[in-house]
Amino acid sequence: MITGKESAVSRTDTGESAASGDVGVAGVPSLKGDLARDLAAAAMALARRFAAGATLWCWSPRWPEHAQHVAVEFVHPVIMGTRALPATAVEDPDPIATLRTLVSSGDVLLVLGAAGDGAVRSALSRAQAWGATTIWIGAGPRAPQQGSAPGDPVADHVLWFDEGSAEAPYNGAFVLAYHVLWELTHVCFEHPGLMKAAVAECVDDDHCITCSDEATLGEVMGSGPAGARVRTAAGVTDVDTTLVDPVDPGDLLLIHAGVAISSVDGGGA
Amino acid sequence: MSSEGTNFLYPFIDAEESDAGSLLADLASSAEAKGRESGRLRLLTFDRTASLLDVIATGMAEQFGNGGRLFVFGNGGSSTDAGGVVSLFRTPPWGQALHARSLVAEQAVLTALGNDVGFELVFSRQLIAHARAGDIALGISTSGNSTNLVTAFAEARRRDMLTVGLAGYDGGQMASSPHVDHCLVVPADSVHRIQETQAALIFELWSRVQAALASKVGSPNDN
Repeated sequence: MITGKESAVSRTDTGESAASGDVGVAGVPSLKGDLARDLAAAAMALARRFAAGATLWCWSPRWPEHAQHVAVEFVHPVIMGTRALPATAVEDPDPIATLRTLVSSGDVLLVLGAAGDGAVRSALSRAQAWGATTIWIGAGPRAPQQGSAPGDPVADHVLWFDEGSAEAPYNGAFVLAYHVLWELTHVCFEHPGLMKAAVAECVDDDHCITCSDEATLGEVMGSGPAGARVRTAAGVTDVDTTLVDPVDPGDLLLIHAGVAISSVDGGGA
Repeated sequence: MSSEGTNFLYPFIDAEESDAGSLLADLASSAEAKGRESGRLRLLTFDRTASLLDVIATGMAEQFGNGGRLFVFGNGGSSTDAGGVVSLFRTPPWGQALHARSLVAEQAVLTALGNDVGFELVFSRQLIAHARAGDIALGISTSGNSTNLVTAFAEARRRDMLTVGLAGYDGGQMASSPHVDHCLVVPADSVHRIQETQAALIFELWSRVQAALASKVGSPNDN
């Protein structure tokens, strides 16, 4: 019988060196190196968002059962006494429209999907305009990293299985990743000093809108007095669209000082 | 983290903690440790179930070859594993698509049965409606004791299905039930680690079923 300490951080079993991308037993990637660090950072961000009142939205176009599994982990924890947290799996014929309606600024969107999935990339890039923190669990060829400009279709936290990857959605690797994400998130709650809002800002995101004059991402809601009314992480605002006209609802725009300075490919509305 | 043992005496220490670096390092180490633990359990379980997996895969391939259908069921996280099984068998990443259905997929049926006859019968009543001799019942549980699974296996036996269980801990009632032909037990007491290895077992089972079907001549599932 192997026993599991499900919620406690192990303080003893840390002797091995962490080599990124190691393939574990039975051909399954283990949680080493980069992936372990990414999980830690994602758990910290998720815990902070929960502490600030977030809902976790879970979506997987190809493997909806995984999204449901993530949600049930948080809502009905396997460890008695662990707090129930608001997490919901989304399944809808028009997932982007549904997420647009459900996701509020400050929420977290967790997507399980392949790098080549256009709907996944669309949701992740729009989530930035919606003000949501994004976590992407996937496998296979990595999504191309497109630099640090806002509007990149890359999640805030990428939990990726590079090796043995085609099987990762099926062989327990994804399950392991989100189980550990849940476990680490609850460890974070044992550190209330690190859950404060002031600490949470400007730590995880490269593009903190409150302390940077970089352009922000906005999603066009409709026409506005200056051109278009757009949704950004900071709220709804009217922007001048002279430089990017014509624009349509659902378009993603880079906005600087009240002016839309370029369009961003959002992968379809 | 090292002072955590006495921090309860000084609650302001945790409340004032502001450097996330050491916690992040601990979290990463913990993630690696949990991954190793999951891997060890997987190896142990595969070692113990190697021949049983072959027996089950051969039996399932035979049922599929004769027109049998697969019905999968479980509660909670295991219900999502049931969805994963169906996804794997019915819309496989490669190989042959097979007739597989989840008994947790339909809200109307689940809530109607749960409300009218009780949650312990939600799976067995569906088998009464759908199943026939030569079909396969696959029930997934971590405890091995879920009443609605045990009840469903009894019904499956009555209907002459091939019955396969996945359980954790010591296998619970499913491991000793005369109505379960084969029970794959993941010998652990962590729900999470059990489910991870169960997913691996399911994938292995599916792979072996595919291999068994591929080794046969012609299309075995032409109904």
